[in-house]
Amino acid sequence: MSRTAVVVLFVVLCGLSLMVGVKQVSWVELLSFSDDAWLTLTASRLPRLAALILTGVGLAVCGVILQQIVRNRFVEPGTSGGLDAAKLGILISLTVAPGAGAAGRMLFALAFCFAASLIYVAIIRRIQFKNTVMVPVIGLMYGSVLSAVAEFYAYRHNILQSMQGWMLGDFSKIVQGNYEIIYLILPIVVLTYLYAHRFTVLGMGEGMASSLGLNYAANAALGLMLVAVTVSATVITVGAIPFVGLVIPNLVALHYGENLERTLPIVALCGASLLLICDILGRLLIYPFEVPIGLTAGCIGGVVFLVLLIRKYT
Amino acid sequence: MRHMATRYGLWLLVLLLAVGFLLLGSGLDFDYVIPKRLTRLAAIGIAGVCIAYSSVIFQTIAGNRILTPAIMGYEAIYLLFQALLILLLGTQSLLLGRDGNVLLSVLLMLGYSWLIHRWLLRNGSHNVYLLLLLGLVLSMVMGTFTQFIQLKISPGEFSIFQGFNYASFNKAQPAQVIYSGVLVAAVCFIAQRTLPVLDVLALGRDQAISLGVDYPRSVRLQLALIAILVAVSTSLVGPTAFMGVFVANIAYALAGTTRHRVTLPLGCAIAIGIFIIAQYLVEQWLNYNTSVSILINLVCGVYLLALMIRTRGTA
Repeated sequence: MSRTAVVVLFVVLCGLSLMVGVKQVSWVELLSFSDDAWLTLTASRLPRLAALILTGVGLAVCGVILQQIVRNRFVEPGTSGGLDAAKLGILISLTVAPGAGAAGRMLFALAFCFAASLIYVAIIRRIQFKNTVMVPVIGLMYGSVLSAVAEFYAYRHNILQSMQGWMLGDFSKIVQGNYEIIYLILPIVVLTYLYAHRFTVLGMGEGMASSLGLNYAANAALGLMLVAVTVSATVITVGAIPFVGLVIPNLVALHYGENLERTLPIVALCGASLLLICDILGRLLIYPFEVPIGLTAGCIGGVVFLVLLIRKYT
Repeated sequence: MRHMATRYGLWLLVLLLAVGFLLLGSGLDFDYVIPKRLTRLAAIGIAGVCIAYSSVIFQTIAGNRILTPAIMGYEAIYLLFQALLILLLGTQSLLLGRDGNVLLSVLLMLGYSWLIHRWLLRNGSHNVYLLLLLGLVLSMVMGTFTQFIQLKISPGEFSIFQGFNYASFNKAQPAQVIYSGVLVAAVCFIAQRTLPVLDVLALGRDQAISLGVDYPRSVRLQLALIAILVAVSTSLVGPTAFMGVFVANIAYALAGTTRHRVTLPLGCAIAIGIFIIAQYLVEQWLNYNTSVSILINLVCGVYLLALMIRTRGTA
């Protein structure tokens, strides 16, 4: 698929996403400035579109950064414990400081996600004879231990059921006024793009990076921080969406290679497109109800991941 | 000698635990409390046997010490199937529960294990971690499908299904316990008679064939036994995820031999002991403030993580 095709696909999906929904919005009404149609558009459809694009871009870029730091193709927030740590953070903020608003919860999620990523990278670096697929396996196990801790905690405080509800990625609650925290992803993406060459060098390993004059520890920590901000912002506003950060960078690398400065925009666009596709599907599958995007993205992403694995290793 | 002592000591310990579980704080109430606890104890025993047997046999066939049926998605597919049944037939599918459901589930899991064996285990793929990753992702995808079906079913059916999803011994019914007990006893009887074959299978495919074992046929038989055991344990107590790895590895460490005659009973003792302790903690100490599955996942997950980090990719 050429670059223009990617852009065209993205634009078409954006248009579709604005048009699909229980409340019919037609161009005729919009052009005649009907208040009703405009309200639907500005209060619900546009915020949703913005949140979808930002989340998709953010998660895909996160996957790239993590993959460079850990030097493994199959790492992303979902397979390195980051998502589960952010959930645990939110859970603890809910019981420790119930009064804290979205910003307070975001801070907790951020701290937990960052700490968990640091520990994960430390564990991976300690293992000497690694095997490419062992790294995500350890990440998945690590994540499931973290979520077992979260479940233990939630069960004790009787919020297990509601936790399962709001942890699943879902864009249907996004309306004007409660999603703005997601715009934090914007500066993160810009920063990542500016530092893209640093992350490329980071991906060459500690020895090479140091000899090229890069402060390895500082840059790795910066990368993990960027990831933690993105992940906590998405988990707070929409919930957990697995596999996007894994599938997209891998597919893009298959076609366009590994030069981050060139491929990062494509990764970002494809990430957004994947989420848009999952969301549109979710809205149509059991119309007029919605399937949460955590489920559609989990199915599509998981199947693509399996195909990638089987194609590569058998 | 030391190993003999460990073996008998362990069973003695389990026996003590069982008696303690039955009597402690019961006020010797033989009308209500003790029969109730007996049911739970029986369920614990059956589930322990199921998990130990299925994990150890599966590891023998797969030729490694990390994969278990639960990790390879057996439990996930069982739950997916139950959700589908409820969606398609409504709650009366649970009336079908006794015979038809178990039979269908076992058949389905047989097909699944045949596929897994055919595609993944035989393919000359000796990369354990690849299989592990495939199993984990497959379980996650099937879990997602199950959640998707949960969205479609009505709240009443949902709450019934929710009961399947968490390991708990409190919901075990006497009739179900007896039924599963008979089934498991039959499976164990067959497994007992094939113990020498299992020891040979552990040597690997080529050695087993050169020693005169009908390899495909024996593996098919063992896979069938595993399918039945997992179906019974999942329907009785729900998914147990990482418990099997924990039980099997501790059993190997304590047994000091790889003969199944020793490792299988040891595994059963360990599994039953862990279940009793977890159930006791949940009932008496934590005041039902947590569930057995959460406790076990926590402990066994940490253990598996440590196991993988320690072996450093050489397994």
